[in-house]
Amino acid sequence: MSYTELTVWTRGIIMDKEGRDIVNSVAAAARKEGKYSQAMENYVDNPDRTNAPTRKYCRVSDDVIENALTYENEEPNIVVLVEGTMVKGWDYMRGMPPGGTLIINTHYSPDYMLRFVPGPERLAQLVCVDAAKLADHKWLYYRLGELGLDRLSTEGAAERSKLVAPDIAAPLIAAVVKTTGIVKRETIEPMIANKKAFEMGFEELHVMPLNVAAVGA
Amino acid sequence: MSTKGTHIPERLKITFGGITPAPTQEKGQDLFPTGNWRAIRPVYRDKMPPCNNACGTNEKIQGYLDLVKRGKYLDAYALIKEDMPFPSVTGRVCYHPCETACNRGKYDEAISIRAVERFLGDLGQALKRDVVKAGAPNGKKVAVVGSGPAGHSAAYQLARLGYKVTILEKSPKPGGLNRGGIPVWVLPPEILDREIERLQDLGVEIKCNVEVGKDVAWDDLKKNYDAVVLAVGLTDPNSVRAEGEDKDGVIYGLPFLRDIGMGTSKVRLGPRVAVIGGGNTAIDCAREALRQGAVEVTMITVESNQSEMPAVPEDLHDMLEEGVELLHGRAMTAVHGNGKVEALQLHPARFSGAINASPINIDRNAKPDQFFVDNVIIAVGQHASLAWLPAEFKNERGTIKSDRFGRLGDTNFFAAGDIVQLGTGQQLMVVNAVGDGKRVAFNVDKVLRGEALQPRNIPVDVIFDLNRMNMTYFPHFARAQQTLLPPTSRKKTSHEVIQGFSEEQAVEEAGRCFSCGTCNACDNCYLVCPEPCIARPERSNGLYKILIDYCKGCRVCIEECPTGCLEGVPELDFDTGVVRMDTAFAITPGLHGRQAEQLQHLAEQPAKNI
Repeated sequence: MSYTELTVWTRGIIMDKEGRDIVNSVAAAARKEGKYSQAMENYVDNPDRTNAPTRKYCRVSDDVIENALTYENEEPNIVVLVEGTMVKGWDYMRGMPPGGTLIINTHYSPDYMLRFVPGPERLAQLVCVDAAKLADHKWLYYRLGELGLDRLSTEGAAERSKLVAPDIAAPLIAAVVKTTGIVKRETIEPMIANKKAFEMGFEELHVMPLNVAAVGA
Repeated sequence: MSTKGTHIPERLKITFGGITPAPTQEKGQDLFPTGNWRAIRPVYRDKMPPCNNACGTNEKIQGYLDLVKRGKYLDAYALIKEDMPFPSVTGRVCYHPCETACNRGKYDEAISIRAVERFLGDLGQALKRDVVKAGAPNGKKVAVVGSGPAGHSAAYQLARLGYKVTILEKSPKPGGLNRGGIPVWVLPPEILDREIERLQDLGVEIKCNVEVGKDVAWDDLKKNYDAVVLAVGLTDPNSVRAEGEDKDGVIYGLPFLRDIGMGTSKVRLGPRVAVIGGGNTAIDCAREALRQGAVEVTMITVESNQSEMPAVPEDLHDMLEEGVELLHGRAMTAVHGNGKVEALQLHPARFSGAINASPINIDRNAKPDQFFVDNVIIAVGQHASLAWLPAEFKNERGTIKSDRFGRLGDTNFFAAGDIVQLGTGQQLMVVNAVGDGKRVAFNVDKVLRGEALQPRNIPVDVIFDLNRMNMTYFPHFARAQQTLLPPTSRKKTSHEVIQGFSEEQAVEEAGRCFSCGTCNACDNCYLVCPEPCIARPERSNGLYKILIDYCKGCRVCIEECPTGCLEGVPELDFDTGVVRMDTAFAITPGLHGRQAEQLQHLAEQPAKNI
């Protein structure tokens, strides 16, 4: 029996949809594969404030999820940081059991990013993917300065698209699927809007294996 | 926003009597350290303003303009004196490359930097004692050959460093080009005399009528001094190689000005004078000729129009106001007359390539003009007189061969000023010579202290692009103008033509400075920060502090910085100072998590506790 928790850290408003797309698509793909799954957002985090750090959760299990009404993932096996700077902000590693996976959207190398990770001994692998570049150079991520001026923008400004993972979520989902095997590629790929970015995410990952013994455990 | 379920780090904890304050209340924000929202960190990084960069001696122009603006005149004078020994002189004579580079020139009109410098220089002249002191004596002696701008500057900086400096000057009066190349109606002699007194107050000894190679030998210099700075300038005028150039009545520009400046002139000009040349010295000669009794002065240039002339535009304008005529596109090919100049033979001419940087093509097949004159002043540049210099230190340009530090081989001889800069592409002007003298003085100091000489290759970020600043904060504002004596009266007298700024004018003009790329303590960041997380103990450049625990990287301060000195640096570029916080947004086992844990253990608890 396997039970996996996936926590996605993202930024309020400007990257809210990206985080939601990741947890929703993984949970949906898991259900298609006959597993039990759920995806939800954290309401304490104030996701309607621009730039505010906010979390999205996903649980995938072979059996019935017992803690379905617990609002937070307390022992995330997989953590995704949708915005690279978040690596410095919080203890997103809190509660992670040994053998975890950390996936960061950044153009820096895993070697550089490792210095910022709290408690890296719990990681089996650190994965860096330059998702913003792979998906779209003109994505909001590169225009944070303009957003800073327009900080009164309404909630959902970046959510005009109803497609799943049209932007940077696609390579990040690819990174989650390829490095953890939480769901199968063929199950999730049809849901993804930006297939090119998804494919490139599969190809252009930088994986740093860290604690192989922890994986075995 | 609630602080329920929040773990607050010890260092951020405050006492608040059991009630959670709202973020808007005093200290309320301390509970919400939003620094970890930040993707970009604002950083104060002063850039080099274009004026400082263009100045030959890198005066801290923005700095002293800012101090003048705040009424701190003495501080401003002290700041300018770090790089410039005689601001009252350059405030009158400088060709102001700073104003040419001034970003305000692209917006409305450049700042009148030279006039503010003169204001400060005149303030310094009025002081009973100068603000600059000689350094503690280090027991070493340095000779400076030449008392012109480069020599004066080198001696000044060396005296400040504690050296015993002796200036050897071949003329009867010190000052070099400042005295012998600049007319008294631009630079009154008493101003220069006062600056030379200031130099002597620093302990610098000036020996006049001493010529190297004649009164003192090369070997004597080597023997008697720990180091020598050669700042001999360019003393011999260039010829135009015209037939009959040796006739009476033919005068060369630099000796003409020099003899008048030194008080040894015996020249009596006739009513009609021609000046050959189109540069600044030629303009000075033409205007001086009017004051020496000439009635009709014509300037004959190879350049085909005014815009091609290598001259400062306002000096050209003032000359034309005084009634000097221009004759373009001509070269003097012969001087006619019976022993004395009576007429000039002029042929059409133009530069073969780049203006003033290529040989002159003279159309000798064209019918020449006869131009009748009583005197002709030839002002087409000058060259060095270096018969006394050992051949190994001469180069093909006819100047002193030195390395990039101004050093002659591995000797303790250095060279500075026009004698080095001629032919290097560097424009020959007083402020460039001053800068060269300053840099060589510091190099002399390094060599005598046994330190290695290193090139200055600090990457300099100069703001030339107005888009890097917030122009919303700068309304258009006209430049304060210096008063000029009326042309009809001034051209017959030696009174100073350009008048200085009043205090009000200087402050007004300094207030127009954009302070390009440099913090000037405008307080804008302090005011606009929405958190607020910019702190300062007092309003002053360099004292603003960003509280990184709270700055969430909204960029408002960066966008609203008028001068562009605040910039956003990606947070990940800082691998120190990690701001890792536990706040309401932290992954603590939150309220719901803890409830779940309690619920799980409900069955183990006795019923009375439930």
